[in-house]
Amino acid sequence: MRRLIAVALVAVLAGVSGTAGAQEKKVKVGVLKLTSSAPIFVGVEKGFFKAVGVEPELVFFQAAAPIATALAAGQIEVGATGLTAALYNIVLQGEKLWIVADKGREWPGYPLVGILVQRELWDQGLRSVKDLKGKRIGITTLGSTFHFHLGNILEKEGLKLADVKVVPLQTMPSTVEALKGKQVDAIMVPQPFPGAAEAQGFGKILAWAGDLYPWQIATVFYSKGFAADRERAVNFMKGYVRASRYYHDAVLVRKGGLPIPGSNYDEVVQITAKYTGAKPEIIKIGFPYQDRDGRLLVQDIDKQMKWWVGHGFMKSVIPLKEIVDTSYIEAAIQAVKE
Amino acid sequence: MTMQRMPVQDRTRFLERRELKATRALSLVGLVLLWELLARIGWVPRLFLPAPSDVVSEAVEMVVSGELFIHLGSSLVRLALGFAIGALAGIGVGVAVGFFSLAEAVGTPVIAATFPIPKIALLPLLILWLGIGEPSKVAVIALGVFFPMAINTFTGVRHADPLLVKAAVSFGAGRWSVIRKVMLPSALPMIFAGLKLGAGTALLLLVAAEMIAVESGVGFLILHASNLMATTKLMVGIVVLSLLGVLSHWFLNWMERAVIPWRHT
Repeated sequence: MRRLIAVALVAVLAGVSGTAGAQEKKVKVGVLKLTSSAPIFVGVEKGFFKAVGVEPELVFFQAAAPIATALAAGQIEVGATGLTAALYNIVLQGEKLWIVADKGREWPGYPLVGILVQRELWDQGLRSVKDLKGKRIGITTLGSTFHFHLGNILEKEGLKLADVKVVPLQTMPSTVEALKGKQVDAIMVPQPFPGAAEAQGFGKILAWAGDLYPWQIATVFYSKGFAADRERAVNFMKGYVRASRYYHDAVLVRKGGLPIPGSNYDEVVQITAKYTGAKPEIIKIGFPYQDRDGRLLVQDIDKQMKWWVGHGFMKSVIPLKEIVDTSYIEAAIQAVKE
Repeated sequence: MTMQRMPVQDRTRFLERRELKATRALSLVGLVLLWELLARIGWVPRLFLPAPSDVVSEAVEMVVSGELFIHLGSSLVRLALGFAIGALAGIGVGVAVGFFSLAEAVGTPVIAATFPIPKIALLPLLILWLGIGEPSKVAVIALGVFFPMAINTFTGVRHADPLLVKAAVSFGAGRWSVIRKVMLPSALPMIFAGLKLGAGTALLLLVAAEMIAVESGVGFLILHASNLMATTKLMVGIVVLSLLGVLSHWFLNWMERAVIPWRHT
């Protein structure tokens, strides 16, 4: 229905204004105001997308799941965010979308999502994931990336999701508030929240989740219509590959486990700070890892779906060839010279 | 000469309200059929508006797996507790305020000042006071039920027929006897009107309360399904809520007839 209304609206607008043609090139990209969106911000700010003839229009969301919904409803054409159970369920219910590129991984040594525990519990000697048994753990929503990550970390340590009490608190700020108000014992939130909580003293970072269980947390995905427009879709990826390499070389290079800031380090920090509204000092705590060329960990998508199915959040696994299409990124990698 | 019969047309016939029972049933069935048809021919993506047949089969699945009863069970416990606490407190306060002048002087301004606060706005505060567990959920429902109950009981007690009260007193009834045997019964219709108002408010607040930090309940089911984009499950939740509303209305109507046999409404 929404789509019908949208089509009607577009038709009306095109009829009355002659400038509609100029808007044609704009691509609506749904993102979150988080550090992990940095490669997109870099691509926009450095003009990498414009150079290949696509102009992204950033649309900001509050959570990952609504981005997938908006994409299915035809309100945006590209999504760049975390993989949630909602996204898989949308595809399972017959609305096509394509996962096309890497947009951030949970990776050892690269702080992204932190497990924060109450300061008092830390002082009483809570030091490992095993100690979380029987505790109340706050996350944003069930079916979120945090839920998936928590479950996998617990299972890796020989526990089950049922061994803790998962408390859904809807938004990231209210999750942090619940820890502050001692309504929960631990929470899982992404940077910059863990750093800020430790600085304020009420929380202690037990571990960075990526050190315990690495996975393909975030991806770029295309709507059916945008994916069908092959030329624009590949062009968008060309801009994205350049942005991804730029981002990688600036902030992700390491030698002997220590970060080596690239020549454009400060620039990327500034751009990220500008778009997220966070202070540069907080941005500098860490950038999430992503493949230099933006290549996906394709098999991990299958693993994620199997986990969601196994825990009753999805009815069945979607065959990879019906949800992942790496041809866009591969074509772009071929086309974009170093 | 024989009187000629003049057939007179009943000119008030247009005022007559026919029952049209079949049309009533058809309107609901027709809506569901139209909805099914729209979903079937694919005008509306199933993701956004699942077909009624899918909703029913999802509901059946949830009944078989027992999932629906878990949600329904915890919601009903919260509703029953909140409703009982709110209603009893409301009736108690209403009677006191309606009968004793001291209670009226203390209670009326307090009720007038606190009644207009939307109870949902109090939820975050209740969570701070009572924690994120069950007590805060029950409390917000109880608060929502309390006000219509207190105000209606008060009004009912006030409007007790003074003649009946005087008659009771002249037959030697004491203060408690008058409350129990005259005032409360005559306030009963108003009390039931309050209960019906409270039932609607209770459902509204239940859903709001169950959207924060719970593991089961119909409100949780709806929010959780929307987080997962499981729209069919979401619809099941909404249908269950509407059934709860209809059932509570029927139940209260039935109870009203049983408790106030002298006033058939």
